[in-house]
Amino acid sequence: MATDKKDNHWKEDFPVYQLESTQVSRRDFAKFLCLVSGGLAVGSGYVAIKANFFPPDKIVGEHFVCKKHELPVGGTRSFVINGSTIPYILIRMENDEFRAYEQKCTHLSCAVFYKPGSGKIECPCHNGLFDAFTGEVLAGPPPRPLPRLTVVIKGEEVYVKDFKPDNDKPDPNRQSRS
Amino acid sequence: MSNFREAQNQAHPNKTNTLMLALIMILILNVSIQVWLLYTALNNALEKNTDIAFPSFIASSILFLIGFGWLYFLPSGPRVTK
Ligand code: FES
Repeated sequence: MATDKKDNHWKEDFPVYQLESTQVSRRDFAKFLCLVSGGLAVGSGYVAIKANFFPPDKIVGEHFVCKKHELPVGGTRSFVINGSTIPYILIRMENDEFRAYEQKCTHLSCAVFYKPGSGKIECPCHNGLFDAFTGEVLAGPPPRPLPRLTVVIKGEEVYVKDFKPDNDKPDPNRQSRS
Repeated sequence: MSNFREAQNQAHPNKTNTLMLALIMILILNVSIQVWLLYTALNNALEKNTDIAFPSFIASSILFLIGFGWLYFLPSGPRVTK
């Protein structure tokens, strides 16, 4: 029993009887679970607010990347767009089409690279595979397709702009994947 | 006058043990559902399906409030008379 004026709250954590002491850690565990639950609710709120009111900036306008002849067939070139730090890659496919994707794997943001001749983009970290024509996930842990940019070719110069699915014409040369 | 808290504190240890177990099980269940909600909301938001984010936030908050109110039934152990 407390005889002095000090805070004797700690005594609840070190009870005299063994039976009571078995409940201390479970009580704390339950409170901790409640704290975690509050944290998760706050996290969901953050996601909801971020997604609805602060969407990521869209890329405005067209951005010059390089000249067509600077990139050999099957080659890749990494670039960044002015005013952003996101790394992108431009790929010249074997059928002479150009594709541009974000270079960050959608799994844990490792840098992805194009495997020349295979039509696939590979992530070395956990062997994620993406379709180089569409950015779709073919294998491995990545949960989402690679974010894509639209490539515009003007004569000899290659530009990229924000991706809109409707200007993605189906490609007649594309072999079906099997 | 005796209240809920006192009555519970005098309960048999078997009873408080069961209660504690039930409490923790429900809390773990709530937390797992919340993890799933957050995971789904985040993945969909990154895929630009933002519609699911708010409903999942509301569901998650409700689960938290349930868990928080649920703590009232947590056996407090014998009260030290100050
Ligand atoms: S980071 Fe790319 S597969 Fe894990």
